[in-house]
Amino acid sequence: MIHEDMICPFCGCLCDDLVIETKGTEVVRVDNACTLGSHKLMNAGKHRLKGPIMRDSGQWRDASYEEAIEYAAGILLDADRPLLYGWSSTQGEAQGTGVSMAELLGGVIDSTTSVCHGPSILAIQEVGHPGCTLGQVKNRADLIVYWGCNPTEAHPRHMSRYTTYADGYFLENAFRDRKLILVDVRKTETASIADEFVQVKPGGDYAVLSALRAIVRGREDVVPPTVAGVTKEQLLRVAALCKEAKFGALFFGVGLTMSPGKYKNVRNAIELVDELNRHTKFTLTPLRGHYNVYGSNEVFTWMTGYPYAVDFSRQIAFYNPGETTAVDLMARKECDAALIVASDPGAHFPKKCLEHLASIPTVLIDPMHTMTTPLVKCQIPTAVTGMDAPGTAYRMDGVPIHVKKFLDLGYPTDTEIIGKIFEKVKEVRHP
Amino acid sequence: MGFSIIWYLREFIRGEWLKNFFFAKTAPLVDPPYFRGYPALTGKECTHCLSCMMICPTPGAIEVLREGETWTPHIYPGHCIRCGLCVEACPEDVLDVGRVLETQHRDQTEISVRYQVTVKPEACVRCGNCVVACPVNKEADPQLGATGTSANDEVIMKIRNGNLWVIHDEKCTGCKTCEEVCPTDAIAIARVAEGTQEGKA
Ligand code: SF4
Ligand code: SF4
Ligand code: SF4
Ligand code: SF4
Repeated sequence: MIHEDMICPFCGCLCDDLVIETKGTEVVRVDNACTLGSHKLMNAGKHRLKGPIMRDSGQWRDASYEEAIEYAAGILLDADRPLLYGWSSTQGEAQGTGVSMAELLGGVIDSTTSVCHGPSILAIQEVGHPGCTLGQVKNRADLIVYWGCNPTEAHPRHMSRYTTYADGYFLENAFRDRKLILVDVRKTETASIADEFVQVKPGGDYAVLSALRAIVRGREDVVPPTVAGVTKEQLLRVAALCKEAKFGALFFGVGLTMSPGKYKNVRNAIELVDELNRHTKFTLTPLRGHYNVYGSNEVFTWMTGYPYAVDFSRQIAFYNPGETTAVDLMARKECDAALIVASDPGAHFPKKCLEHLASIPTVLIDPMHTMTTPLVKCQIPTAVTGMDAPGTAYRMDGVPIHVKKFLDLGYPTDTEIIGKIFEKVKEVRHP
Repeated sequence: MGFSIIWYLREFIRGEWLKNFFFAKTAPLVDPPYFRGYPALTGKECTHCLSCMMICPTPGAIEVLREGETWTPHIYPGHCIRCGLCVEACPEDVLDVGRVLETQHRDQTEISVRYQVTVKPEACVRCGNCVVACPVNKEADPQLGATGTSANDEVIMKIRNGNLWVIHDEKCTGCKTCEEVCPTDAIAIARVAEGTQEGKA
C-alpha cells in the first residue's frame, strides 16, 4: 500500500511530503526522506517490545497491559513527589493528558527541553522571541545564519525545504540571492557550503555575539582585533552582511544553549536580533531536535502557563528551572516514583541521576528496548506516533501538524495508555 | 696600436655585412598547409553553448564574450596550445584552424560531450540540496524548488527509496551547481568527451 504526504516523525523539521510504501506490517520503500528519517521509517515495525514487561526480583517477566497500568497508577499514587518526564517523542494529546494527571497527582512534569533548549526558553522569557514560521524564512530571507548547530547532520532537509536552497516567493534567483553564515566551534560539513564560516573558540559565543552587537550599534571602536578567535575584519564582514540583508533568519542549536554562558548566550543572540531589527528584518528560531519536543512546550504552556519543569506540589503550577527540572530532582534524590514517556534519560542523564532512577519505582512508556529499560521496573510498549498512531506534533517553528499513521501493529497509543493510568488515578484521587 | 678604435670599426663595419643584414633576400614566411596556428573565426554565428570553453585543456585560453547582441569566442594566444580541440567541439563551425574543420567534415567526426552524475551513497545524507538547486530539475519539475518535493520523474536526480537516485543524467548540462551545494561532497559531475564518427560508435 502506498501512503502519500506522510509526516516524518524524526526531527523538528516534520517533513510532510514523504511517500511510504508498506506490505503488511513491513515498510518497503520511503521516498523524499533524508537518511535519518528513512532509516527510522524503514525500521518502523522492527525492534518493538511485544508487550509490557515487569521486573520480579531482578528478572523480567511478561505482563498484561492491565497489570502494567495498575502498577503505574499505583506507584504514582503512592509517591509523595512523582515525576512525569520525557514527552518529546509522543503526540500532543498524550502530553495534555500527562499534564492533567500531573496536576491531580501534585507531581512534577518535565520534558526533555530541560536538557536541550531549556536555556533558549529562559532567554525568551526574559527578552521575548522574535520568531516567525519557516514559511516566512523560505519565502523572504536572503540571509540565513546557523549558530552552534550542524543542520546537515541533525536536520538534513532544513536547508533544501525551508532555508537556503528552497525557492522563495520574494527571491528571484533562489539560493543565489541568499547568503549563508555558519558560526560554530568546529568546521562541520555545513561550513563547506557557507559563504562565511566563523570559527569561535569553545565558550566564546557570548563574546562574539556582544562584539557583533557593538558593531551593529556603531561602536566597532570597542571591539579588539580578535574576539574568541574571530578576527575583527570577519566580525565587521558578518555584521555588514546582517545589516545589508533584507530579511535575516538566525537558527541556533545546542552548541549555543549548552555551551558556557547557556541561556545568556541565547539572550545575547536575541538582543543581537533585536539590534538588527533597527536596520532590517531579522528573526530567530531554535532548531529543535525531537519531532515533538516543541509540542511539549506548547501543550504545557497552554495548559499550565509554563513550558517545562512544572511542579504541582503546591496545588498550583510552579516553575523553577534548576529546582523543578528532572535532572535536578533526581540528583537531589527528591522524586520517589517516575513515569518516563517517550524519551531515553538512560542515554543522556548523569550517572548520579540514573542511580537514583534505578532505586525508585519507575515505569517507562516506550515502544522499544532503550538504555532506560535496564533502570526501570516496568515498561509498557505503545504505538509510535507517526507510524502506527496518528496525533499532533509541533514543528520547530511552532506550527502544529497532524501526523498520520501508516501501519497497524495493534499497539495502544500513548494517549490511551496514559489515559487509562489517569482513569485509575482518578478512581483514588478525585479531581 | 693594432687594437685601436679605428681598427675595431674598420674590422666590423664592412659594407657587405651591412648590406646582407639589412637587405637579406629569403623566402617569405608562410605557414605550411598542415600547420596548426591559433583558432580563428569563420564568421558563423556563435550560439553560446560554451562547448569550446569546456573542452579546452588550458586554463584561460578561450573565452566566449558578449559583444552587443552576439557572442564571440576569443583566443588568448599566450595560453592557447593550439590543440584545436575547440574547433572540433564547436557544433556550429564558428572556429577553424589548419585543416581541422576540413578533416572533420570529410571524416564526419565530431566530439560529443555528456556528463556523468555519480553519488557516493555512504557520504550522501539525502538532504536534497542538490535536487532542489539543480537548474535542470527546476525546469523539469516547477514545484520542486519551492517545496523540496519532487513530483515527477523528469528530474535528473531525486530522493527515492532511501537513496539519491540519478535517473536522467543525459539531461545534465555540467553546471556543477549540485557539487557546489552538497555539504558532504557526495555528488560528482564528470565530463565525458567522446570522439564519434557518423555511422560508427
Ligand atoms: S529533515 Fe527531519 S523531518 Fe525531514 S526527513 Fe529528515 S529527519 Fe525527517
Ligand atoms: S563552441 Fe562554438 S557555438 Fe559554442 S560557444 Fe564556442 S564558439 Fe560558440
Ligand atoms: S551539474 Fe548542473 S545540471 Fe548537472 S546535475 Fe548538477 S546541478 Fe544539475
Ligand atoms: S546535496 Fe549531497 S548530501 Fe545532499 S542529497 Fe545531494 S548528494 Fe546527497
